[in-house]
Amino acid sequence: MSDGVIDIAERVRTGAVSAETAVSQALRRLTALNSDLHAFLHTAQDQALEAARAVDAKVARGDDPGILAGVPIAIKDAICTRGLPSTAGSRILENYVPPYDATVIENLRAAGAVVIGKTNMDEFAMGSSNENSAYGPVRNPWDLERAPGGSSGGSAAAVAARIVPCSLGSDTGGSIRQPASLTGTVGIKPTYGRVSRYGLIAFASSLDQIGPFATDVRGAARVLKVLAGHDLRDSTSLDVPVSDFEAACGRSIKGLRIGVAAEYFGEGLDPEVEASVRAAIADLQAEGCIVRPVSLPHTRYAIATYYVLATAEASSNLARFDGVRYGLRVDEGDARRDLRAMYGATREAGFGTEVKRRIVLGTFVLSAGYYDAYYLKAQRVRTLIRRDFEAAFREVEVICCPTSPTPAFRLGERVDDPLAMYLSDVYSVPASLAGIPAMSIPCAPTRSGLPVGLQIAARPLDEDSMLAVASAWETRSPARSLVPPMATRSID
Amino acid sequence: MSGLKVDRDLVLHVAKLASLRLSDADTTRLASELARIVQYVEQLEELDTKDVPPTAHVALDRTPLRADDVRPGLSREDALAQAPRADQGGFAVPTFLE
Repeated sequence: MSDGVIDIAERVRTGAVSAETAVSQALRRLTALNSDLHAFLHTAQDQALEAARAVDAKVARGDDPGILAGVPIAIKDAICTRGLPSTAGSRILENYVPPYDATVIENLRAAGAVVIGKTNMDEFAMGSSNENSAYGPVRNPWDLERAPGGSSGGSAAAVAARIVPCSLGSDTGGSIRQPASLTGTVGIKPTYGRVSRYGLIAFASSLDQIGPFATDVRGAARVLKVLAGHDLRDSTSLDVPVSDFEAACGRSIKGLRIGVAAEYFGEGLDPEVEASVRAAIADLQAEGCIVRPVSLPHTRYAIATYYVLATAEASSNLARFDGVRYGLRVDEGDARRDLRAMYGATREAGFGTEVKRRIVLGTFVLSAGYYDAYYLKAQRVRTLIRRDFEAAFREVEVICCPTSPTPAFRLGERVDDPLAMYLSDVYSVPASLAGIPAMSIPCAPTRSGLPVGLQIAARPLDEDSMLAVASAWETRSPARSLVPPMATRSID
Repeated sequence: MSGLKVDRDLVLHVAKLASLRLSDADTTRLASELARIVQYVEQLEELDTKDVPPTAHVALDRTPLRADDVRPGLSREDALAQAPRADQGGFAVPTFLE
């Protein structure tokens, strides 16, 4: 079993262990476990070893190798990596190798982190189970018959199985938090604008945010610090100071006010999930937090709002996949002589079922005659959902609730019912619509041993309060030292 | 918009707008799935929003434009390297003008 982000970085920085050793071990675990998990789509064996040796050379010279020196990291396949395939889980990008690194990848490399591979995901991040990947689903390390959640399921599973101590995902409506919850890992969706989206293959631009998974809160905080900051190549990245997220971990939470909203403990919530989350909140109260009821009355409209806005933005973003500049082209028959026929044939062959469903829905809500009734209406309801949070955050510093209404569900269980799958995100979507930071951290597992996630949300740009509560909970959580059996499997 | 009929014709119209060819089976399946999803979305009509401004984006007031300076970008070679068809230093496409 491997160590956490901080342990590895500090040991590499002091020369106690080489980056090459740390990275080789991660690569061996990847090879040994991936046939069971299918968490990785591409392995960067040679690139990773070369990068690790460059870190070791810096340590040997006495240069600062960075705060993530030698830390092996897995990257969701929606994030562009120079010279390494980036398919976004889609056939239409099957052979795509980006000619540039996303800003977050540049930042990670500069901090000494080593990319060991690209992780499986729902196609274009559209899904909550990873079953929408064109390359087959990821399996949950806790129970291989169950889904790891989605869409960043590969990144979550890679951390849960302790192949890597940290990974990157992207979260549009819960795609980091929900898989973190289902796999018993820590997952952070930062404030919208905290992290540059340059090089993230876009799903819904007003909602997408890149964030870390890690085995522990402090490790996730260190990765977030490296990711965060203004970027001239993404005008929506905020030009605001980046605080020391790691220092926020361990900060006293005495007197800090936690809001609990009845709307997040309603119909459809699994009783074991409810009991686990309520016990965590009671424990935080015993630690000196003040627990207060808050009201978020428009929560029940969040899924409808989200599926109008996210699909509208997706239909526009995915127009770029047309067989011209990159990716698949189908130009047989008519499509050889007719540009529009080439577009249609390429997109029919390249996109999977869920992506087509969302392109059609998104195009519909934006089309003449329907725009006001659906798209503009949803944008107005988005304002009401934001106002709910603004009012609640006048009373409390953080809001605690379940991340997902259920623990990990069985593969195949929800694939035939798109609406039931969409409702998996009922507790994660509102924070996305409001643009606020939110994270998932493990709390007591179910009787059958499946992970449960506590979600902590905070005011815009106040990741510090969220992390303070998370790290205080982590030291007390009954899930603290739980790992899936495969994480301790000997690989040598 | 309640009472809207989501049928195969509507799906085919929208797919054409999206430059997406659909098989017969996909068209039929999408019509029934979309009818259910649109019906679910129509619960938004319960809310009176006539005085509520729309949110297109949470931070538009915080995204100043950068200076319009020339910066290094992708080389032509890199930009064309991933193209399914490249010709004469550009992206090659089927004829669209006679």
